[in-house]
Amino acid sequence: MLLSDIYLWLSYSHIATPKLNKILEQVSPTQLWDILSDEGKYLLDEKTFNTLKRTHSVDYIERAKQYLEINNVKYVTRADPAYPTALAQTEVNPPPVIYYKGNLDIVREPCIAVVGTRRASQYGKYATNKIVEELAGAFTIVSGLAAGIDAFAHSAALKAGGKTIAVLGSGLFNASPVSNLKLFDEICRDGLVMSEYTPDVHASAYTFPQRNRLISGLSRGVLVVEAAERSGSLITAGCALDQGRDVFAVPGDIDKPRSIGTNNLIKSGAIAVTCASDISDYYSVSLKKSERKIIALDFSEQHVLDMLNEGEKTFDCLAETSGMSVPELNIALSSLIINGLIHEKSKNLYCVS
Amino acid sequence: MLAKINSYALNGLDGYGVTVEVDIHSGLPAFDVVGLPDAAIKESRERVRSAIKNSGFDFTPRKITVNLAPAHTKKEGPIFDLAIALGILCSTEQAGVDENNVPVKAIGEYVFLGELSLSGSVGRINGVMPMLIAARERGVKKIVIPKANVNEARYIRGIEVYAVETLRDAVSLINGEVKAPIDKCDILTTGGAKPSEDLKYVKGQYFAKRALEIAAAGGHNILMIGSPGGGKTMLAKCLTGILPEMTEREILETTKIHSVAGILDEERGIVTVRPFRSPHHTSSRIALTGGGSSARPGEISYAHNGVLFLDELPEYPRSVLEILRQPLEDGVVTVSRAARSVEYPANFMLVASMNPCPCGYNGSKTHDCSCSPSQIQKYMSRISGPLLDRIDLHIQVDEVGYGDLTEGIEAESSADVRARVNAARDVQNKRFDGTDVTCNANMTSEMIKTHCALDSAGERILQSAFDKLGLSARAYTRILKVARTIADLGGSENITSNHVAEAVMYRSLDKAVK
Repeated sequence: MLLSDIYLWLSYSHIATPKLNKILEQVSPTQLWDILSDEGKYLLDEKTFNTLKRTHSVDYIERAKQYLEINNVKYVTRADPAYPTALAQTEVNPPPVIYYKGNLDIVREPCIAVVGTRRASQYGKYATNKIVEELAGAFTIVSGLAAGIDAFAHSAALKAGGKTIAVLGSGLFNASPVSNLKLFDEICRDGLVMSEYTPDVHASAYTFPQRNRLISGLSRGVLVVEAAERSGSLITAGCALDQGRDVFAVPGDIDKPRSIGTNNLIKSGAIAVTCASDISDYYSVSLKKSERKIIALDFSEQHVLDMLNEGEKTFDCLAETSGMSVPELNIALSSLIINGLIHEKSKNLYCVS
Repeated sequence: MLAKINSYALNGLDGYGVTVEVDIHSGLPAFDVVGLPDAAIKESRERVRSAIKNSGFDFTPRKITVNLAPAHTKKEGPIFDLAIALGILCSTEQAGVDENNVPVKAIGEYVFLGELSLSGSVGRINGVMPMLIAARERGVKKIVIPKANVNEARYIRGIEVYAVETLRDAVSLINGEVKAPIDKCDILTTGGAKPSEDLKYVKGQYFAKRALEIAAAGGHNILMIGSPGGGKTMLAKCLTGILPEMTEREILETTKIHSVAGILDEERGIVTVRPFRSPHHTSSRIALTGGGSSARPGEISYAHNGVLFLDELPEYPRSVLEILRQPLEDGVVTVSRAARSVEYPANFMLVASMNPCPCGYNGSKTHDCSCSPSQIQKYMSRISGPLLDRIDLHIQVDEVGYGDLTEGIEAESSADVRARVNAARDVQNKRFDGTDVTCNANMTSEMIKTHCALDSAGERILQSAFDKLGLSARAYTRILKVARTIADLGGSENITSNHVAEAVMYRSLDKAVK
């Protein structure tokens, strides 16, 4: 019996990883396989024993392997040298098997996790895009494929031509939410999607907090972009601390509920991040400077840019104070947006990028 | 004795002659109406009986049979009351005869329309204008209508119209009393009434106002997205004031529909201001497109040549929104029912408004949105892609701050904007001369190719806009059409990169659903 097959057996038994790892502290996986039929009864409690017993057959493991192969799901077990070393640490509670689609090699590169609320504001979207786009040149971006900040982080990384890893809280066949399935396919193609759960497992209330430890475990640091006072991303930050990873947070307005969590993190010692170089400098990594094209601006564009440099302004305010006609202003704003010099912060409210 | 009186009936917007035949003979007293009458016509027996009696004529119970020929079409409404009453009076020789009891021939020249009240006065009916037009086309020379309908009849030349107030008036008319037909007048001399809202009272909202100007200039459908209290409804109401004045043809078309539907202003008689219809979102499909057993026109036809405003677009049932697609494309709606199939014109400009999310505050500067992404997604997905495809401009309308409301600056008035819109429409009229298309919004793909060619700078800016903003492919032709209108407004022959750059600004939903 191959060691990797034994790990697969353990994974398919669906015993929670912390419990499993506790058992493995006492007996090696091979021993467990061998003794399960007789002495196992005395070593394990009855429920665990029965669970392990159910899948305890060479035939079952073979069928599982066939199923994975037919469905084009790759896996790596702790017995394999390819198993991510970052996850192998005991603090992370390494799962016996990682199921994945895409390119596993990218876990070896320095990773930064970018997480945050599902209900992102325009500000959260903007901050994620801005920081990740620069960061993606030097780091692999890890996140959880959830709606909101997670999705923005993944797509910003892909858009910048960087690498990204999605760690799911469900099996690979049950990725959610549905609105991110297109993103799921894109990450499978250009990055890596992984899960510790066998492909058919559905997400549940406890699977998401559990997978958060893998997000932080894979990464050197965790960046929390937007988080309410009680938020799943704070669990990830907590995992990061337990695992000895760094925690970064994007500060926000003190009156916005979605910034309470991140501001609290900063108060308790997280590193405040306002641009990508705050992270890269911390690790002494140099970011590839995105060479900013010198764009020739005409008079009205320069005028609008100068006004916005003083602070964000609404369309109405610009229209009244710039002395330009509405069509002229529209043209200037449009070309400044297209050239990436300004962006629409919220409805009809513009500010410099 | 048998009497024949001419009357008219409507099938959709088209009229046809109906002969009311009344025969009185001996037998058990009865009063029957045949020829597929509806309930209103059957009830007319009671009205006619009382009207005749109360006008001082004799109504001795006898066997009366009324036939409405042609007998195979369903007739409806109270418009035959007058004709039936006259028929009875003629066949009892109380009318239509001279002193020597010789029947007057003149009676065959007239067509009679009108509802009777119990007192014998003649009341207002629906659909007078289309019936007059149809009657004129079929060679009718003289027509008698209720006095209350005079105002809409004034504008139809080439037919003598006589207005009567009571049954007695009608009787004296056919008895040979000389009566002058009503005066006619020209349509355009009446002048338009003031639209309810003027752009000069809209504070701020420069972006939205510019978008409305473009929408009006090119006939583009427009979707306004914004939080509650942003003034979306007020902006929409301003639109009728900046659209070009109605042409004579448009006035006639719209008045015909309003006349049939009975929503015509009795004083004005015709529709000279572009209609603004805003059906509530609980309206049924039939209320919108028209239908019912008699295939009546619906709200989209009432809005013909005007504006159909759908407030809170996602609140409309999906099935109601989807049926708008075909009329939006063709400008007509065909209502088919078991009894008949009628085509109503429905060439309207669609103005829709919606909140950015179920709670209404997504992206608001003053409130926090409490909706989850899936809620927002669900809300947005109530509007289907194909419908969205027919809306060229989507704009964000934000709430107005207190400071903006109290500021004293008087904004540009609707009349000034209309002048620019008219100029742009003139350019388009020249461009599309000899085709079915009237404005940029209705350009076919071939026309887009010829009229919306971009220079290399324009191509470049459109390309980078797609990359930067993640616009969807369906945005492409929309942007070209809108850019064409912006160029027309600017008096420019060609579309330049500036026009494209501005057009890109009006695709906020493409960016949002990215």
